[in-house]
Amino acid sequence: MDELFFQVLEGAFALPVILYTTVGVFLGITVGAIPGLSGDMAIALLLPLIYKVSPAAALGMLMGIYKGSMFGGSISAISFGVPGTAAAAATVEDGYPAKLKGHPKQAMLTALYSSVTGDLISTLLLVFVAVPMAKVALHFGPVEFFALYVFALMMISLLVVGEMKKGIAAAAIGLFIGTIGMDPMMGSVRLTFGISSLRGGIPLIPLLVGVFAVSELMIQFGRECASRSAKKVAEDAIKAEELGIYDPAKDRMSLKIYWSTFRAALIGSGMGTFIGALPGAGSSLAAFMSYGLARKMSRKPDEFGTGTLEGVAAPEAGNSATAGASLIPLFAFGIPGSATAALFGAALIMQGINPGPMMIEENKVIIYTLFVIIIYATFINLVLSHGLIPLYAKLAQIKACYLVPTVFALALLGTFASRNSLFDVWVLLAAGVLGIYLRKNGFPLGPLVLGFIVGPGAEKALRQALLMGRGDWMFLLKSPIALGFYALCVISLLLIHFSVKKKLVEED
Amino acid sequence: MLTKRTMLLGTAVLLAVLSFGAMASAADFPKAKQLRMVVPYGAGGGVDISTRILATPAQDILGQRIDVVCMPGAGGQEGINFVLQQPRDGYTLLVTDYGPLVTTALTEEVTYDLSDWVPLVQITEVVPTFFVLAESPLKNVEDWVKAAKEKPESLTVAHGRHLSVPHLPLILFEKTAGIKNTHVPTTGGSEALAYVLGKKVDIGASVPSTIASTVKAGTMRPLAVCSLERVATLPDTPTMKELGYDVVLPAWYTVFAPKGVPEETLKILEEKFIEALKSEGAKEMAGKSNVLLTPYGRDKTAGLYEGTISSLKTILADVKK
Repeated sequence: MDELFFQVLEGAFALPVILYTTVGVFLGITVGAIPGLSGDMAIALLLPLIYKVSPAAALGMLMGIYKGSMFGGSISAISFGVPGTAAAAATVEDGYPAKLKGHPKQAMLTALYSSVTGDLISTLLLVFVAVPMAKVALHFGPVEFFALYVFALMMISLLVVGEMKKGIAAAAIGLFIGTIGMDPMMGSVRLTFGISSLRGGIPLIPLLVGVFAVSELMIQFGRECASRSAKKVAEDAIKAEELGIYDPAKDRMSLKIYWSTFRAALIGSGMGTFIGALPGAGSSLAAFMSYGLARKMSRKPDEFGTGTLEGVAAPEAGNSATAGASLIPLFAFGIPGSATAALFGAALIMQGINPGPMMIEENKVIIYTLFVIIIYATFINLVLSHGLIPLYAKLAQIKACYLVPTVFALALLGTFASRNSLFDVWVLLAAGVLGIYLRKNGFPLGPLVLGFIVGPGAEKALRQALLMGRGDWMFLLKSPIALGFYALCVISLLLIHFSVKKKLVEED
Repeated sequence: MLTKRTMLLGTAVLLAVLSFGAMASAADFPKAKQLRMVVPYGAGGGVDISTRILATPAQDILGQRIDVVCMPGAGGQEGINFVLQQPRDGYTLLVTDYGPLVTTALTEEVTYDLSDWVPLVQITEVVPTFFVLAESPLKNVEDWVKAAKEKPESLTVAHGRHLSVPHLPLILFEKTAGIKNTHVPTTGGSEALAYVLGKKVDIGASVPSTIASTVKAGTMRPLAVCSLERVATLPDTPTMKELGYDVVLPAWYTVFAPKGVPEETLKILEEKFIEALKSEGAKEMAGKSNVLLTPYGRDKTAGLYEGTISSLKTILADVKK
């Protein structure tokens, strides 16, 4: 035990690991602060290059990016009312009015401290929940896994932000893409149309980078070269003048102010951790739900939307709390809780660590090292963000015509480097085109990627279960754990059905 | 005749290189450029790790840089085809087990013939191993055969992928012993291990490194290994051969050159690679990653290659029926 302890500390606090993590946090805040670039995208872009460094350094860097980008998104949200990431969209509601009212600093620091609070709470939960949960996961055989996959697929499509049918359609496309190539059981080749490069299936990384990053880049390139936020700044100057002159004396951050938003931050942390741990939900949903809940539970609900700091604290704590929590299902069962966790899972696999019930047992040192890194990355984030806030309020004004080609070149290079395959580059471009179509038509991308990842696993589990049960479908119901998951499916379906109905009635 | 053809081809390559005015020639090997060892698997896997154990000391011994290039695309065929498309000068080599090279060639259409490859040096050997939980009623292979004969297909065996390194010996064993089990394909060793630990299946088939820690902890009982001699990490586990079943099907990780590389170059590569595998550096790296080095030269690996091809042909012919 002592030996493990020292090995972990030695691994976690090695200079390169701290450096990589710091660079990750820095990158995360940077891409988060630039509208159009997101943490997912940065992780996807870096993924192919990740196996060149040690597992601890690689994972520390990715985790740093995730954490940094969760806060970074709020910088441009508060400064210009343009969310730097999708997850920061809810922060705009109160963060931007707060700035206009002359409290940009208070809003920014409230966002930062709530982010860190939410992040820390969910990370501690990850550490204390994932390990015991992974032990339970050893009782999971194909029957239980299939039930879990069914639950995951259901959550993916139910919890989508926007139209549910489009979420389901996106997940179905992902499932379909996942069937291309050799089947997981007998190795028969499916849907390759004689193209031998498709034998191995559609590779995950080019698909991820293409769908998330390339599509966004192509869309931005199609737009004007002037960025939206530049125009916003001009408009803001006029608005701010109308509201009076900025007085720094009235915009001081204090412990009292932090304390006054602490309740909202706690609500956000709880909600974010819960949503994050569900497979399929994402950080933007967590942020919106935290905002909604904090508003309902607030003593001054009327102030929401006018620039109250509680309205900044709740969504920021909420989106950051998904960082640790979304790794819980990945670490315990090998099922990623979000698109970012899926990217994280891919990084683990590239390091020779297979996410799943055996992962923690087999890689104790690395996993515990990772836990330590995830915790201290939070503090690196706190310190770095503090210094970068004033600088980064300007970053959102970089022109797309400089940014897009650079990132695009990185995407091509990174994809080729990961498997030395030109075919992968074609997949990247094709996935980019698919991504454009889906984005333009309002399809969410998360379900597609999760469908792609969960699909082959679900098929394998089902067929293994049927083999073990000698073709008897009732065998699938002969496990209490599996029955529990099916019950959860029905309950969540009913809950969501009725809450949607209620909303519709209210709107009428 | 083979050597004559090799010589002819070698001369052709030599002439081609010279006609381009390049300084490279077989006599200069390996001074012209860095070497590439292509691995038809992803980074971090067993073959990749073994290749790096060889490549790291070999660069110093050869005095030339060696790049390990992972090309897992199209189930490994991208890497194999890449090697075939390069000049046959010995600077681009393939390192693989028999899976993508031989099994795929025997079951699907590929661009090469099995005789297009010259096995050079074997790096290591992984031995298919059958195992059960320590508390299982199956104490040994005899119990397994008896139970399977009483109730055919009643026992479930989790192995790796379909027709993978642990699956083929299972098929061969069933044929030899005249029994039948229910096969449950998985994505690999750790999944098979998890299913045995979780009592979802009766028997697991994998390689010694997968089960080493559980055997040490006393939770797992290895039944038999499918190699000619016992495995060093599982000294108490009998071989199938000892038990009277002719199931010897270890998987080699071997360096291959495409046919047509000059004989002098092959000689240099063989000699230096063997030297590298016997170096302290290689031994240290191998120890850390639980790899047992088996530095066999051209003669022995050629025999093992031919042997594997003929056993696989027999097994696969049965599967197709």
